[in-house]
Amino acid sequence: MNLYAYCLSDEMARAAGAGVGGAEVREFECGGVWVLVSEFAGERVGVTRENLLAHNRVVGDVLARTTPLPFRFGTLTSETRLRNYVETNRVSLLQSLGRVRGCVEMSVKILWNAGEVRRAAEETARAASGAGVEGSGAAYLLAKRRALAESEDLRVRAGEIASRLAETLGETVREARVRVRPEEALVVRAAHLVERARLDDYRARVHAARAKLREAEGRGEGLRFLTSGVWPPYSFTDVSA
Amino acid sequence: MTEEDFKFDEEDELSLLETLDHVLDLGLVIAGEITISVAHIDLIYVGLNVLLGSVDTIEETIGKRMKELESPKAESPTSKVIDSKSQV
Repeated sequence: MNLYAYCLSDEMARAAGAGVGGAEVREFECGGVWVLVSEFAGERVGVTRENLLAHNRVVGDVLARTTPLPFRFGTLTSETRLRNYVETNRVSLLQSLGRVRGCVEMSVKILWNAGEVRRAAEETARAASGAGVEGSGAAYLLAKRRALAESEDLRVRAGEIASRLAETLGETVREARVRVRPEEALVVRAAHLVERARLDDYRARVHAARAKLREAEGRGEGLRFLTSGVWPPYSFTDVSA
Repeated sequence: MTEEDFKFDEEDELSLLETLDHVLDLGLVIAGEITISVAHIDLIYVGLNVLLGSVDTIEETIGKRMKELESPKAESPTSKVIDSKSQV
């Protein structure tokens, strides 16, 4: 019988409801670290609504009382291997738990109208590079230059969006993991580690950032925002196993 | 997509997608201990923008695994197959 692993904490934490597959969730202690698990009959975990929500409920139940380090969905193991994992990584696990203590993860995703933004960048690049070049070699070089200018324009604009968000959130964010992808519709994906006591301030600043970015928006960027949280600190579990 | 603060609701598809986006991509990993099967591919591809990270991860992982299986080297004892076709 495998064990399904949900999360671990340096405080004793119990989850009230059933776990994945309706199994009872239990905890065991290993060198000052508490691990929440349930029994799982099978070799792989189906990515189903029920299983996802069960995983989320168990970890969320713990998060309501303390901040655990969550395992990735689908972690099947045995008690022996879990104990080995905790013992081997005890120092870095406790450091990570200390880092996220009293905090939760919040998520901000910003989407833009990638097609429109690219067209605007093409126009800018065309205007900057001039026209009327004769000869295939020169035309080729001009096209290359335009493509580079277009790519740079996208990169700069995406970077500005991420910077303005970070500036507005300021010290309400203890740590951030930000991915900027100028070529994609999901242009900024940010995970913020926020102290529970600062959540109201953080939320107010997210609203302010949204308003500012909307105000400064130009050239058909069509910015859209998806903010979510609170989450367990999934993005801040940097423990090398 | 809502412009307001996200409120988690188990019946809401967006909530499920946000959950997927977090739990599939991130979190503690014990080497070789993740074994999932993707039963509802259509669910994962709903709201592609939100889920690019997770889909990338799945495709990358499946791609790597396929390469490993095609190579003559033996499978590592702790690794397991991520099966995108089972439980359909």
